[in-house]
Formats: sequence, structure tokens, C-alpha cells
Amino acid sequence: MTDSVDEIRKEVRDWLAEHWDAETGKGRSAGSVRDWLDHVIAAGWAAPSWPAAYWGRGLGKEETSAVINEFRKVGAPGAGQDRGNIPANSIMQFGSEALKRRMIPEFLRGAQVCLLYSEPGAGSDLAAVQTRADRKGDVYVVTGQKVWTSGAHKADYGLLLARTDWDAPKHDGLSFFIIPIRQAGIEIRPINQITGDSHFNEVFLDNAEVAADNRVGEEGQGWKVMQTALAVERLIMGEGAGERRQGSMKDNVVSLIDIARETRKIGDPVLRQEIAQAMAYRQLNALNIIRSKQEMAQGSSSPIMSLGKLAMSRILHGDAAVMTKLLGAASMLDADANPRAADVNYRTANAFMTSIGGGTDQIQRNIISERVLGLPRETEADRTIPFRESRAVKG
Amino acid sequence: MTMIEAEELGAIRAGFARLLSEKCSEAEVRRVMATESGHDPSLWKAIAEMGITALLVPEEHGGIGAGPVEMESVMEEAGAALLAGPLISSAVLATGLLSASSDADVKERILPAIASGETIASVALTGDEGLWTPEGVEVTAARQGNGWSLNGIASFVLSANVADLLLVVARTSEGVGCFEVAPGVKGVQLQPLETWDRTLRFSRIAFNGAEGRAIGGIDEQVVEHALDLARVALAGEQAGASRRIFDITIDYLKTRVQFGRPIGGFQALKHMAADLLIEVESATSAARAAAQALASNAPDKDVLINLAAFACADAFGQVAATAIQMHGGIAFTWEHPAHLYLRRARADAQLFGQSDMYRERYVAAMEKAA
Ligand SMILES: Cc1cc2nc3c(=O)[nH]c(=O)nc-3n(C[C@H](O)[C@H](O)[C@H](O)COP(=O)(O)OP(=O)(O)OC[C@H]3O[C@@H](n4cnc5c(N)ncnc54)[C@H](O)[C@@H]3O)c2cc1C
Repeated sequence: MTDSVDEIRKEVRDWLAEHWDAETGKGRSAGSVRDWLDHVIAAGWAAPSWPAAYWGRGLGKEETSAVINEFRKVGAPGAGQDRGNIPANSIMQFGSEALKRRMIPEFLRGAQVCLLYSEPGAGSDLAAVQTRADRKGDVYVVTGQKVWTSGAHKADYGLLLARTDWDAPKHDGLSFFIIPIRQAGIEIRPINQITGDSHFNEVFLDNAEVAADNRVGEEGQGWKVMQTALAVERLIMGEGAGERRQGSMKDNVVSLIDIARETRKIGDPVLRQEIAQAMAYRQLNALNIIRSKQEMAQGSSSPIMSLGKLAMSRILHGDAAVMTKLLGAASMLDADANPRAADVNYRTANAFMTSIGGGTDQIQRNIISERVLGLPRETEADRTIPFRESRAVKG
Repeated sequence: MTMIEAEELGAIRAGFARLLSEKCSEAEVRRVMATESGHDPSLWKAIAEMGITALLVPEEHGGIGAGPVEMESVMEEAGAALLAGPLISSAVLATGLLSASSDADVKERILPAIASGETIASVALTGDEGLWTPEGVEVTAARQGNGWSLNGIASFVLSANVADLLLVVARTSEGVGCFEVAPGVKGVQLQPLETWDRTLRFSRIAFNGAEGRAIGGIDEQVVEHALDLARVALAGEQAGASRRIFDITIDYLKTRVQFGRPIGGFQALKHMAADLLIEVESATSAARAAAQALASNAPDKDVLINLAAFACADAFGQVAATAIQMHGGIAFTWEHPAHLYLRRARADAQLFGQSDMYRERYVAAMEKAA
């Protein structure tokens, strides 16, 4: 096992040495990012664990990790999308053969998606969505309203959860689509966020169209597809994606020790305890992730993966709180004239992205206690009745 | 030191777990707790026959020559079962000290007997302050004739009441050293202490001109190394014990019915359980990572050992206490096992150092790396 890991590591390293220029952060044969990604896909690094017939190399988990690590080391993009690319994974697992062939390469090559799940009436209770998709010949006609849609203004496609059957119970009447986002029937309105950004949007769908061939999975199977897509998203959040204010401080992870030195509080014994605890939570989560990957590489399932997002939420809120203490009065300031304060302020607000987005901390605790620990499910008043008779519809 | 293959380690651990489930059931723990010595010689013999007491002893001295990774692993089982007795004291702390000494005679004479379980050794480290740091050493040793004479107080000496041999860390004019003392000799007065966790026994020992034999090549650093080994073993114990009392609690949540449904359906309890699972898994990861780092003498060894020391202590404390709350009244009874875990958690959180100290050392180690 280790032999093959070493072999792959060497092969990737050699390949990168030949094709990637770490100095300029570009492929040696120049060209666009897209060209580089094409290259990565052709070499089988984009999705190493998938079979050769599907852009991969049929590698095991440890080998795949080795590939990802080598790419990470030199800062080259595009590898290991079999772990982190939400649309590609959903299609690979549930899509038709034709859909796989047509769309997966697009996503591996960097096509942007937004997630059209949440609605004003369906947040934590996502299975209550009321956006409707009605089949008309070769297309579905989609009408409804989505909200909190991150990145919709920059997206090529939306992953859409919509209702195709109103007589079935709520979870059974859903279907999952990949809908082209730039079309007449879709209007996107940015929403201002507590961070001052406006990354997320309201999305109004009014007789928008999506080809029936773009349905992922069967009609009525949308909830199942959704679970896979959500699992990938939570995994990404559990490893701490997107903590920092864009274009601000150098590193995503800011060292509390650096800030304590800067603010000359590094000698304060009380703050040192808090710094230690905050750093410990982060390191413990990293150790958990390493261990769960080892366990999964050895073939046993690991419950730890489902803990990462909840743990990360505590880490991000905790870090921001300690940073605020270190800054003291300066944390009241903001903007470019006060970059450290601006960064900490941003982190303070943005920590809620991880504790709310992708399923709130409370929902994560429900999931962990039910699916990992086997405790009884939450009661759900409308779980078994036809959706059109539920309070979500009737009010 | 040889790293045992993962499979072999798995087999040792599984065998140990089986032994403990047979001979160290809750009923047995309670029986031993109530004895005067807090020690079960027949169980000790069985543990020794399995090679657990020989794990850390080098092969040339009749041991298995394994390391922290293997010890941590079996300690998870020991912790889960709340094993009482001198395992950490003799097979970890004393063994760690002696193995790292340069004293060939002592090693040859004592280590094989520790490995076989015939000799139980206990290490006297700290005085009444209970600091487990060089400043905390209160016994002094001075040359007298060919030997040494020891004076002063050592306290919180783990399992000394059943020890055949005391290893006494003492101050000398040349710094900290370690001395071999027979518990029965003149000038040694051993007073067993009353403990809240009756599965752990400590003694306070007064040395009054007691005769000791110097063990070559033990200084502050060697003592610290042996303590690190003990901390890793203790972290394993805490991780294993946290997991067991957590599992006991989750089982109870599924069977206890109130308001017409299992209490595990109440969200307040479900959410407590999810949070505790993070603590349990983190403790396991931390203990194992510390063991790996110590075994390979990794550059981030100090970071990981101190992290494990406070993370595992705090996790065990939180899980054990919350377990009682989640059980309700039944766990307030002496007959229920939850309080046994709380007692051990509270004691373990003091043994060899406290969380605040470890957190301070952790930041200091991180500062060095930053
Ligand atoms: C930064 C950010 C980005 C986002 N990006 C996207 C996106 O790209 N696409 C998308 O579709 N959505 C996105 N979301 C939406 C997100 O998924 C929802 O906000 C989230 O699932 C919660 O839903 P809600 O806001 O409707 O809150 P509600 O569901 O109304 O929850 C309100 C409160 O009730 C609690 N609660 C609800 N149900 C339960 C229960 N069963 N048990 C215990 N407590 C409960 C919640 O924890 C919360 O505290 C984003 C959100 C944020 C903050």
C-alpha cells in the first residue's frame, strides 16, 4: 500500500516539476487557467479516485490524498475534485451517462455554480421548498424564489432543488437540476451582508427553463442527491474554507500569537490561556481530520467527518473573540486605515457563515446525534402527509 | 525502541480488552476499590503475563521494547475499564526513568523484574505542593560514606503503598538526581493517603536519613522525559475512559423513557451528546498524535504532548460530569458507574500537572515554532 503511495507521489511530483512553474504560479506551457485544468484532467489528476473511463485513475484514498498534497505544496489548482467539486460529485454519483459525459468536464474545468436550495419558507427545513418545476416536453418550467444564494451573480449554473410532485410527502416530491443561470426567466438581486459584502442574492425564477436531460437522478429523488451535495459542502466548511476578508491579511489562518505580539499582550497570562484554548480547538480539529482520513483509507467509516463543520464553527467564533480581546479598544475601529481591526471585525461577522450556512449548528447537532449516535429523529409534523396539505403550503 | 506492527498491536490491545472485560468488570473495580491496598495481585499477574508490564521495557532487559504508541493504545482500554493499580506507576513512569538512565547495573537488576510484574516500582517526584516540576521536588540527597542519605517529604506518590521499590527524585548539590530506596529501610515512613477516587492510591513519604542508592544518568531532562511518557499514557487513559462513559450514556438515552418517548429524542440532550462526541474524538486524536510525536521525537513533540495533556483532561472532566447530568437521579447513586468516571476524571486532571500549566506550555511551544 505504502509502495503505491510513494510511487504516485513521485509520479505527481515529476509531472508537476515538468508542467508547473511554482515561481510564476502558472503552467509552463503558459495559456489560461482553463488550459491548465485541461492538462490536469488529461493526466487524470482532477479526479484520481474515479475510474479511467471517467477522467480518473482508479486510485485509492491514500494515493488520492498524496496527489492532492503534491498539488497543494506547489500551489497548483485543479487536483482532487473528486472530493471537493459539488456538481461534479453529484452528477458522478446520480447523473445519467449522457449527463456525466456532457457536464462533468465543464465543472472540472472550472464552470461556476451557485446553490439554489434555500427559500424564504425553507431554510433548515429544506425539504419544504416550494419552487416548482413542471415538465413540458423536453424541458421543465421553473417558477419560485430562492434566497441566500451565494455567488449567483458569478455563476454559470445553479444546482436547483425544486418540487415536481405536490401530492407526495415533502421529501419524496423533489427533483434536482442543473439549470443555466443566465437566462430570461432568472433575476438575481444582491443582498447586503453583515460583513459589508454582498456575496449572496435573492434569485427569482419566473418560467425559467431547464432541459429534462439536466435532471440529476430520477424525478422524486432530489432529496437523495441533495444529501450528497450537502455532505461535500459541509466537508469543505469543516476544513475552514473562506475565513478571511477578501484581499486583506496575507494568510487565511492568522496566528493569534502574531497578533498578541503585535498588540504587546503576549505576556498576559490570562490571555495566554485563551490563546492556547483557541489554538487547541483548531489543532484538535486538524488532528481529527487527519485521523478520520486514515481510518477511511483503511476502509472503516469514520464518524469524525460529520463533526468538522460544527467544530469549525466553534473555532471561528472563538478565534474572533480572542482576537477582539487582543485588539481591545482598537477593535471598535474599521476600514483600510485600520487593517488589523478590519480583519478581526470581518472574522467576527463572517464566523456566522459557518454556524448558519450549509445547515446551522443546531441542525448539525441534530444530524450528528441522529445519524452518528443513533438517537431518535426529531418529530416532523408534516413528514408523511401529502405536501400540498402541509402547513408550509396551507399556512 | 521498535514500533510494533499495527496488526500485532491490535491483537495485544484486543487481548487486553478481553482480559479487562473478564477480570476488571465494574463489580471487580468496586471490590478492589474497597480493599485496603486498592490493588488486585491476581489481575496484576494476568496483566503481566500478557506482556503489558513489559511493553516499555527494552528487549535486552527482558521486555518487548515497544514505545509510547503501543502504551497509549492499551491505556485507552485501561481507562475504559477504570483499571486500578500500579500500571502507570510501575510500567510507565518507573520504566521510563530506568530505561533512560545510564546505570547498567540497575537496569539489569530491576527492569526484567518490572517487565515480568514481579517487582512493582513507584516514583516519588513531588512534595506536598503537588507540582510535578523540578521546583516541586522537596526531598534532598547528600553523600554519606559510599551511599546517599535522603531527607524530606515526597507526596502524591502513586501506588507507593504496594511498591517493592521506590525511585526517589531528589535534589543534590549537583542538581536533580534519582535514588533507589527500599520501602522498608530505616528512615522511610510511608503514610497512605485517603483519596476521593479509591481506584487511585497515593502515599506521603517522609525520608529521615534514609539510605539510597544513586541511579546513574538521571537528571531533570530524563525525569521530564519519563513524565512525558506518563502524560501520554494518562492521555490515553482519559481518552478511553471518556469514550466508555460517553457510550454508556448514549445507550441510556436510547432506553430511558419519559413523556412517552426515549429521552434521547429530547433535543437538549441530543445537542449535549453531539458536543460531547467532538470532545471524545478530539481526545482520542490528541492522545494518539502525542504518542506518535513522542515515539518519533518529532519537532512538534512539546506542542502535541501539552495539547493532549490538557485536551484529554478537560474532555474527560466534561464528559464525565455531563454524563451524570444526562442520566438524572440514577447517576447520583453510588451503585451507578458514572461517579466512578467523574472521580477518576477529577484525579487524572491533577496527576503530573494541571490543564492551566499545560496550556501555558502549549502556547510557549507554539511561540517557539511561530
Ligand atoms: C453566508 C451564508 C451563505 C449561504 N449560502 C447559501 C447558498 O449559497 N445557497 C443556499 O441555498 N442557501 C445558502 N444559505 C442559507 C443557509 O443554508 C440557511 O440560512 C440555513 O440553512 C438556515 O436556514 P434559515 O436561515 O431559514 O434559518 P431557520 O431555518 O429559520 O432557522 C432559524 C433558527 O432556528 C433553528 N432551528 C431551525 N430548525 C431547527 C430544528 N429542527 N432544531 C433546532 N433548531 C432549529 C436554527 O438553528 C436557527 O437558529 C447561506 C447562508 C449564509 C449565512
